[in-house]
Amino acid sequence: MTEPLLSVDSLDMRFGGIVALDHISLTAEKGAITALIGPNGAGKTTMFNCITGMYRPTSGSIRFAGREVAGRPAFEIARAGVARTFQNLALFPGLTVFENILCGAYLKGSSGLLQGALRSRRSRREEHEAEAEAWDILGFLGMEDLAASKPAELPYGQQKQVEFGRALMQKSQLVLLDEPMAGMSAGEKKAMSDLILRVRSDMGKSFLIVEHDIPVVMELSDKIVVLNFGRKIADGEPEAVRNDPKVIAAYIGGED
Amino acid sequence: MTEAPITAVPRRPMAKAWTASRAILAALGIAALIYLPFLLTERAVFGVPLSNGMLLNLGITQINLMLIFMLGALSLNFLTGCAGLISIGHGAFYAVGAMTGAVVGTQWGLPLPVVLVAAALVGALAGVIAGLPSLRVRGLYFVLSTLAAHHIIIFIFQEYQFEFFDVAGVPYTNPALGPMALDTPIRWYFFLLVLVIAVYWGLSNILKSREGRAMRAMHDHELAATAMGADVRILRLKAFALSSAIAAVAGALYAYYLTNATSESFGISFAIQFIAMIIIGGLGSLPGSLFGAAIWLLLPSLISGLAANVGDAPALVRVLLVDNRAQFVQALFGSLVIVLLIFAPGGLPDLSRKLGRLFARERGQ
Repeated sequence: MTEPLLSVDSLDMRFGGIVALDHISLTAEKGAITALIGPNGAGKTTMFNCITGMYRPTSGSIRFAGREVAGRPAFEIARAGVARTFQNLALFPGLTVFENILCGAYLKGSSGLLQGALRSRRSRREEHEAEAEAWDILGFLGMEDLAASKPAELPYGQQKQVEFGRALMQKSQLVLLDEPMAGMSAGEKKAMSDLILRVRSDMGKSFLIVEHDIPVVMELSDKIVVLNFGRKIADGEPEAVRNDPKVIAAYIGGED
Repeated sequence: MTEAPITAVPRRPMAKAWTASRAILAALGIAALIYLPFLLTERAVFGVPLSNGMLLNLGITQINLMLIFMLGALSLNFLTGCAGLISIGHGAFYAVGAMTGAVVGTQWGLPLPVVLVAAALVGALAGVIAGLPSLRVRGLYFVLSTLAAHHIIIFIFQEYQFEFFDVAGVPYTNPALGPMALDTPIRWYFFLLVLVIAVYWGLSNILKSREGRAMRAMHDHELAATAMGADVRILRLKAFALSSAIAAVAGALYAYYLTNATSESFGISFAIQFIAMIIIGGLGSLPGSLFGAAIWLLLPSLISGLAANVGDAPALVRVLLVDNRAQFVQALFGSLVIVLLIFAPGGLPDLSRKLGRLFARERGQ
């Protein structure tokens, strides 16, 4: 069996006396859509922050593409090939939609400040390539006519899409989406699901998704990991998880 | 959303095509920039003499100093507005450039181009050192660290000045660009003009390039910039290095232009004025930097010009413009900065836009 793209092993994250993640292990396979669900405060976003290096886990291991990345700084993990979106939008308000997406290409280039200032050949070539790709992604999202808008001029759902586009722009194998469909209508959610499936098939990216809309998650995911109060209570295919009594109890609040 | 209706003010100008009217405007602008120094030195238009009032009491020296300060305003606005760092120590990098000029030019006798390259390198290095606290502290604490850097640099300048020179300061002599001596204000003007245009062009290219965009992203949302793979610590130090390199070059030019500099030339009020310029012109805006520097350098002399023409104006005007001119100018700038900070953080252009929108709405009702 080949090693999973991402494998988290016995991860602990404590903030003072609070145990946010308690010995969590999970894997995300290459080419799969893995969902991380659980009630509010279960530790889903904390898990994202540990994987992407925004938090330094207290103990445990995170292996990505065969490398140990636990405790590495966030920019290094991004360079290893992990892209992410944020639960509360993290767009760049001073930049246009197009520039926001262009920012995702940061790791694809290598030209520095002086090359940028003098418009060196390499700087121009990188810029052309990034712009062409950004137009592709805007086309993919169906947002070409919004390229020159500022993010704040768009409705929430479209802002989410811009952030998604920026993550797609990144040179990455695994994309972490933190509530990509929050605040979207049923139609928008369907469109977003389709988009994620198309990205997987067209761009070959794998996904780890936190999402609250259970029916959408069931439909979309290959595998679901359920957290509750920092513990993993279930892990498996959607059908198995759906019927797991512990999961039902966690969501409905019955006996443990 | 409290935005005005879209019909009142177009939200975004359409991408401008290179039309004939634009080309004519550009040609006129270039012609005006070329003719300006001759106008100001001959004080006549095509042989017809102009009065001081007609020239708005401006001279070529003010224009040249304005160009030198534009370099400082541009570089500080790059740092503050684009990379999200506020520095009170910016004036001190002028001092670094002046000091480099003293060593490389005055003491070693090397030519001006070498001095400027050296000033850029030493300025970049000093900028990285002054920027190091940005790796650990944020906000006000970082601002205070730049204030400390300012005092350290000025202290070094002072020690250096009294070790090798005296209380009269450092003399800077015979600036020349290869065979061309910078011995007339007009030659200085064209050299400085080219330099300002080059720096402006370079900085605006950076803002549209990979690392510059990452810096703007870092300014807007640091965590998200990190998630793009940007090492924000390195980006910050790079912004510091570039900004202070430009300021140091400007500082060396300032010293050569005035032919003398002392440690007292670069006091704290010298440093603060760059912050005032970019607030007036608009934080984060490169054209605003030019605008802010122009207002800062030219307005006092416009007011002096007015003062000479008040004649038998009402007593209050005389008191303000003639008897207390310096205080009046300071109070004017002070209140301007406060008004802008409260009502129009984008500077004077932003204020005029907002006022225009307000009047448009009033008229509409």
